[in-house]
Amino acid sequence: MAQVELKGVKKSFGKTDVIRDVNLQINDGEFVVFVGPSGCGKSTLLRLIAGLEELSSGEIHIADRAVMDLPPSKRGIAMVFQSYALYPHMSVFHNMAFSLDLQGVSKAEIHERVLAAAKILQMEHLLDRRPAALSGGQRQRVAIGRAIVRNPDVFLFDEPLSNLDAALRHDTRVEIAKLHKQLGATTVYVTHDQVEAMTLADKIVVLKDGEVMQVGSPMDLFKSPANEFVAGFLGSPKMNFFEGELTGGAGTDQGHFKGEGLTLSGVRLVSTDKSVGDKILLGIRPQHMTLDSDGLLKGRATLVERLGTETVVELLTEQGTSFRFACPEMLDIATGQDVSFSIDAARAHLF
Amino acid sequence: MTRTLKHVVLLLIVVIWVVPFIALVTTSLRSETASKTSGFWTAFTPTELGHRFGTHSRDETEPFVSMSGNIFDRLNAERDSFDVTGEVKSILFKGRVPDPDNEGNTKLIRKLIFAGEPMDVRGGEFVFASNGDFIWTFAEATAAKPKNLDAFINQDPVFGTDAYVEVLFENKNVPNALISSFIVTIPATIIPITIAAFAAYAFAWMRFPGRDWLFVVVVSLMVVPTQLAFLPVLQGFSGIASWATSLNAWMTDCELTQTCKVASKSFASLWVTHTAFGLPLAIYLLRNYIVGLPKELLESARIDGASHLQIFTRLIIPLSVPALASFSIFQFLWVWNDLIVALYIGPADSADLVFPIRLQKQLGTFKDQLHLLNASAVISMIIPVIVFLSMQRYFIRGLLAGSVKGG
Repeated sequence: MAQVELKGVKKSFGKTDVIRDVNLQINDGEFVVFVGPSGCGKSTLLRLIAGLEELSSGEIHIADRAVMDLPPSKRGIAMVFQSYALYPHMSVFHNMAFSLDLQGVSKAEIHERVLAAAKILQMEHLLDRRPAALSGGQRQRVAIGRAIVRNPDVFLFDEPLSNLDAALRHDTRVEIAKLHKQLGATTVYVTHDQVEAMTLADKIVVLKDGEVMQVGSPMDLFKSPANEFVAGFLGSPKMNFFEGELTGGAGTDQGHFKGEGLTLSGVRLVSTDKSVGDKILLGIRPQHMTLDSDGLLKGRATLVERLGTETVVELLTEQGTSFRFACPEMLDIATGQDVSFSIDAARAHLF
Repeated sequence: MTRTLKHVVLLLIVVIWVVPFIALVTTSLRSETASKTSGFWTAFTPTELGHRFGTHSRDETEPFVSMSGNIFDRLNAERDSFDVTGEVKSILFKGRVPDPDNEGNTKLIRKLIFAGEPMDVRGGEFVFASNGDFIWTFAEATAAKPKNLDAFINQDPVFGTDAYVEVLFENKNVPNALISSFIVTIPATIIPITIAAFAAYAFAWMRFPGRDWLFVVVVSLMVVPTQLAFLPVLQGFSGIASWATSLNAWMTDCELTQTCKVASKSFASLWVTHTAFGLPLAIYLLRNYIVGLPKELLESARIDGASHLQIFTRLIIPLSVPALASFSIFQFLWVWNDLIVALYIGPADSADLVFPIRLQKQLGTFKDQLHLLNASAVISMIIPVIVFLSMQRYFIRGLLAGSVKGG
């Protein structure tokens, strides 16, 4: 049963359509991540759920209630902002107690609930401080604590980690994942960072230009991307694309490909509207290519990046298509060297 | 080069502003004679001045051989304040001495006698030291008459608060003016800032049709000069006053005591006028401040369930303290120093006159009593200074620190 349900949600600012017809179901207890490049409408979609923006058309249901006409505070949501948005003139305790205080909850209960939330986040010792006296990570925790105290049906996170430095971002990410396990609350999380999306999500929603590209579990999206955009967006380094021709298998889910000196058959064919002879893109992840002196894909190395855990080689084919190869071993490939690869058709995609 | 120029210009500005203030304060602290006879800049260094003192008082008629005393004690015995201290340089001797050219005769001479030199006073020998001690000795016990002598004293700077005491306690004019000014200024500051804060929040964060146009209209009202509006404003107030008079006559039995008349010029009319003319600037300043508060903060409060009024009272007001404080100082200064509005629209009763009008009237009465005039002026200046200093702690930098990224 859906905890959050979006039906035909549309939003436009003036004449610009920011969200075009989004339909989405989020189940109880699910951790859903909205991911996409900046300007794709993911934050707007979150703000629509929160009630901070008004819908142009469509319906939003939270916990089986239509919430389109309800103010944010009545929707059973709590939101954590990218910029923390703490009340600077109040102590941490009062920041967390603010919503309860406005609801007219008794002093004793406020105290109890704030302390409980503080305990979950291990920040009981910070309760008397002002936000100015906290570090970035602590401020973020207070913002999360403020959400927990409200005991909402749905948690909304708007890029909560993007103001933190890399090390802290990782720690906080782990903490959010733990917290979600502990509380089991439905969570909608917006990020532009695919690593956050892949690690945190039960379900990823990839957005582009206000439209949902694909919805699914991280591994589904990684293994069988629904289109070129999703394929390119998830995974690092980015998936390689080679132009070529569809030589067979049109209309089925297995296609044949010819191009860049490669001939492959039985490749996962994504586009169903292509016919034999049409131009098509072959997608293969940099990690899914194998070094093979007899391989058909040839390239000249233009840049070799040794990351220690991984070696990433940037190459250029004879036709001038640039692509990457990544491998966990230390390779002694020098810039300018010609390298050949073979490609496992089972791990490639045709778009 | 530009730095030096900047510093020179700054220094010049400081001097231009500070010198009159020092002059005002100094003059108000000097004695009437001093302020009449020399400029304020001479008040800080020792000045040689002539003082007449009596050797003793007339009722001391005991004969004596030797009398000792102190010139300064004698001088200051007759004074309540501005005590003379310093160094006695000389005493002007005026009297007859044997004439060397004309045996057996005497001649009248005037001569400066310096400390330590003896001189003949009423047949006795009078010697003084520069610290003012003198000894007057006679050959045999004599009941000498007191003698007035002119001493030239290198006098130390001396200041006193006599002018303030006189201005504040001699009659009720200045105290009344102080009270009236407070009665006018405090409401005329609080009322507009309260209204403006509400309006500024609405203009900044509430959506309603025509909001931006209305804001433009309000801001453009700033160009209306107060003077231009005197006539219509006065007409309005007299209309209200006559209406109130009729109401008074109808509702109460004031006709018996002939107290029905309601004045059109009153404290209330000053409040209304200052509020009306202060509002555009207040709304403009506060709106620009409030619109700059982080949007997420207000959204967060909305999610927490705060209504507009709660957002206003619990978030906007505490966070707008610097803006509120700076506008209250503006408005306080403007109203406190206002002469013309008070003159045309304020109460005309002498006891209700505000400070600037009182000062203007004193220009007539204290024409040649600069020290009194200046004391009043300093009293009227000191209030805004106190207000400014006490408000200063609200100009807090980084009030928003910790609320949002980079804030």
